[in-house]
Amino acid sequence: MIESRQLTKVFRDKKRGDIRAVDGVSFRAEPGKIYGLLGANGAGKTTTLRMLATILKPSAGTAVVAGHDVVAAPEKVRKNVGFLSTATALYARLTAREMVEYFGRLNGLDEATLKERVDEIFRRLEMNEFRDGKCDKLSTGMKQKVSIARTLVHDPPVMIFDEPTLGLDVMTARTIVQFIKECRTRGKTVIFSTHVMSEVEKLCDTIGIIHGGRLLAEGTLQSLQERYSEKDMEEIFVKVVGA
Amino acid sequence: MQPSNVATVYKKELLETLRDRRTLISSILVPMLLFPVLILGISVLATLIVSRARKDNPTVMVLGSENAPELSRRLEKEKDMEVVPPAADYARRIDAKNLRAAVEFPAGVEQKARTVNTESQTVKIYWYEGEFRSEGVVRKIERVIREFNEETVKAALASRGFGPDFLKPFDVEQKNVASAERVTGNIVGMMLPYMVIILCLTGAMYPAIDLTAGEKERGTIETILASPVARSELVSGKFLLVLTVSLGTAALSLASFAITILGGATLLARISSKLVLAVSVKAMVAVFLLILPVAVLFAAALMAIALIARSYREAQTYLAPLMFVVIIPAVFSMMPGIELTPKLAMIPILNVSLVAKELFAGLYPWNYILLIFGSTAVYAGIAIYFAIRQFQREEVLFRT
Repeated sequence: MIESRQLTKVFRDKKRGDIRAVDGVSFRAEPGKIYGLLGANGAGKTTTLRMLATILKPSAGTAVVAGHDVVAAPEKVRKNVGFLSTATALYARLTAREMVEYFGRLNGLDEATLKERVDEIFRRLEMNEFRDGKCDKLSTGMKQKVSIARTLVHDPPVMIFDEPTLGLDVMTARTIVQFIKECRTRGKTVIFSTHVMSEVEKLCDTIGIIHGGRLLAEGTLQSLQERYSEKDMEEIFVKVVGA
Repeated sequence: MQPSNVATVYKKELLETLRDRRTLISSILVPMLLFPVLILGISVLATLIVSRARKDNPTVMVLGSENAPELSRRLEKEKDMEVVPPAADYARRIDAKNLRAAVEFPAGVEQKARTVNTESQTVKIYWYEGEFRSEGVVRKIERVIREFNEETVKAALASRGFGPDFLKPFDVEQKNVASAERVTGNIVGMMLPYMVIILCLTGAMYPAIDLTAGEKERGTIETILASPVARSELVSGKFLLVLTVSLGTAALSLASFAITILGGATLLARISSKLVLAVSVKAMVAVFLLILPVAVLFAAALMAIALIARSYREAQTYLAPLMFVVIIPAVFSMMPGIELTPKLAMIPILNVSLVAKELFAGLYPWNYILLIFGSTAVYAGIAIYFAIRQFQREEVLFRT
């Protein structure tokens, strides 16, 4: 479960002064459901997710992720979160296996459990043929699989994805979408950000529209369609943001 | 802070570092080859130059040989030198290195030298100043002339009833009483710590950049920050890796220096038979222990500064001036007359260079050793604290 309570982040810029990248955002994401954070570039999606993953500290407000407070117990939060974004690259000189093992160890897995987990994940994601290949020599699709494996190795109850399909080809993007659905089936709490309308329509149980750092609208696809009298997600988005 | 996490981070960084070609070259290959190549290379080169110069027959011109028949005869008989017929364009030929020197005897110089004369006479030697072969030939000419002069003076004194020692009441002889260790110590103590400190810095520079700005550039900083590892554990693991590489460079440099000295002693002895090489192992170990806190200081400071950068290039720009900050005290310590004082003992890097001179000379000034170790350790502690603080600042980690 993710519960965001008036989450706020202010950045200090020498030229532009204080920038409220995220301004009092509150929402709830339930286990076994996918929450989609929809917004344009610069809306505050990445900053919100980074705060939930405890990579950034909130300027005000807080969030409770998997039962732990992001401000008071960030390390406990991170043990229960799998975070994936376009900025989470792989270590070039490690092999796929070494990469996943490294994060398994940092998550406190003992060697026996780690080996079991790694074998299982590599089998499920069909990664065995490149398990000993160095990360910088892998194709984009293979790299994405290694990233997924890294987020899964400690079997966290919460999964946070920041624009996970950005820049990926159709086939690789489908793998990611399939994986996200699987997380839901396994009862995990899933939140992901995107600006691709079709993804939102296909995947999300709850949609949150964010703009200028504020959560402007929230609900299921059906409730939003009724509220804004539009069938198309893009039209709904434009109406919400335009207002 | 969990030591197991620090160990996990350290092992992973070590694995990646050992797989990186640039680190292997700058931190392992260069220190291993630097001393042997420098020392042996210079001595081999010097031997080659000398033997080549000997083979090459330098030419000399005698102008006014009719004024000094005996001297001209002696010059013709000189080995490894060829007297060529006189010509008016001797200056141009010397300049073009076709002729190595020309000696000009003024009218009646030999005759006047044999008789009592009050006229001063000047024999001119034309040469190419600073040119090795010209210099060699000029020395031969001067020796021939000096021998003739001495004989002439002896004969003149004898004819007046004076012995040959009339002009030289006593002899002067130099006798070195400092032990071989002290003499070598001064030489080695001046050069070695300076080079090892520089190598410690250059060895640490690349991994320090790679593990901070390099992570930012490769986009892995967010990946690791999303894991449960605490910032302090992450910094500690990285710092230990940079320190390992820095100390590894220092140790390899010292070892290769020792092997070169032991192995190349005979070669060096040929060039200077007076130089007895006695390098104390105890002093080397002591110097290494003193360089330890310096290496800690470097590792922490380099990481803290490199973390500010967004890329390798930017990090190199910030760190390059540090080379001068390190070279200046090291060079200063090599200057004559600079000795260890309590004030100088508080200046990092300079203090180690100065005390190393003493250690290699077999002296162990314990109060200074402790003061230097202690003060450098304090500076190192401050640098570590600064590095940890840097890793906790979002504006540094996510600087775009």
